[in-house]
Amino acid sequence: MTPINYKEKALNILDFRLVGLVGSILLIVSEFLPWFSEFSLFDAYILYTITAVEESFIFLFPLISGIICLIASLLVISNLEYKINSVIITLIGLGFLSLFLVDFIPGELFYLSKAGIGFYLCIAGFMIMIINIMLILIAKE
Amino acid sequence: MSTGTIYHHLDSLSQLIEQGKNKKYYLSDLGMHAYTSLKENIEIIESSKFSKGEFNSPLLKFLFALTPIKFISFEEKDKRYNTIISAVILIMGTILCGLNGFYSFLLFFIKTPEDIYRLPLISHVVFSIIFIVNFLIYFLLVEIFCRLFYRKKGNTFDFFLSFPIILYPMVIYLLIHFILLSTGLIQITYINFIDTVLLIFFQILSLWLLTYNLKVSKGLKIERGLIIALLLHYGSFTIVLFLSI
Repeated sequence: MTPINYKEKALNILDFRLVGLVGSILLIVSEFLPWFSEFSLFDAYILYTITAVEESFIFLFPLISGIICLIASLLVISNLEYKINSVIITLIGLGFLSLFLVDFIPGELFYLSKAGIGFYLCIAGFMIMIINIMLILIAKE
Repeated sequence: MSTGTIYHHLDSLSQLIEQGKNKKYYLSDLGMHAYTSLKENIEIIESSKFSKGEFNSPLLKFLFALTPIKFISFEEKDKRYNTIISAVILIMGTILCGLNGFYSFLLFFIKTPEDIYRLPLISHVVFSIIFIVNFLIYFLLVEIFCRLFYRKKGNTFDFFLSFPIILYPMVIYLLIHFILLSTGLIQITYINFIDTVLLIFFQILSLWLLTYNLKVSKGLKIERGLIIALLLHYGSFTIVLFLSI
C-alpha cells in the first residue's frame, strides 16, 4: 500500500487559481464595508447620487473591478487554457481600481490613519490580484 | 532499426549532413545554420503555439483585429514607411499631450492641477517634451527588462522603430479627450465616465501591443511579454500614486 502524500494532496486542493477568487471577493466585499467613516463606498455612492454630486460613479469602481476580476478568475478556474484571456480581463478590472485609487487616495490622505476595514481589504484585494496575474502567467499548462 | 531505414533517413538529411573521413556523420554548414537557427528561435516557435481555444476567443480575436501586425512585424522594404508611421504617432502624441495639459508617465496621464485654459504656452511645450522623454524612458526600460530577465539583446533598432506603434491607442485617447475638453463635454458626468473607461480600454490595448511587439521583435513568449508589460505598468502606477499624494 502506497503512503498518502498529504503535501501533494493539499497542493492539488489549494490550486493557485483560487488566489484570484479570494482577491476578487475581497474587492467586492470592501465596497460594502466602512472606509473612512461608518459609511461604506456603496453608501457614499447613494448619498452622492441623491445630492446630485458629480462623479459619484467613481465610488462604484471597486465593485465593478471586483466583478470583472471575479469573471476572469472563474474563467481560468474553468479552463487554464484561457489564461491570456483571464489576465487581460483582470487587467481591465484592475484598470478601474487603479484609476479609483489615484483619484481617491490623495483626497483622503489626512484620514489614512483612520481608514476602515473596507480600505484595507480593497488594497489587499488589489495586491492579491496582481500576484494572481503573475502566478497565472508563470504557471505551466 | 534496419540499415535500409537508416540510409533512407540519411538520404532525407543529405543536405544537412556530410560524412567525415572517419566515416562518421557530421552537420554540414547548412545543417549547422539550421541547428543554430532552431536553437536561437525556440521561444518564437513555442510562442506561436497558442492553444486553439484561447486563440479563437472573442477577446483575443478583437485584440488581434486592433493590432497593426503589418507595422510591428515589418519587412526591410517597408522600413521607411514604418518609420514615417511611427514618427507621425509620436508627433501627434506630443502635440495632443501638450494641448491636453497632461504629464505623461509610461501609459498614465496626470492632469495638471492648474487651469488648462490659463496655462502659458511654455507649459504646453513642457508637457509635449515630457511626452517624448517618457517615450524614450519607456523604450529603455522595456529593453533593459528584456536584457536583464530574458537575455534578449538582439533586434533593438527594429524594436525601437516599431515601439511608437504601441502608443497609437493612447494617441487616439488623447485626441478624444482633447475634443471632449475643448467642447466642454468632459464636464458632463456620464461623458467623464466614458472618458475614464476609454482610458482604461486604450491602456489595455497598448499593453497588449507591447506584449505582441515583444513577441515579434524580441522573440518572447506572450506570457513573458505580459510579465514585462505588467511589471512596468504597475510599477509606474505605484509611482503615479505616490506622486499624486
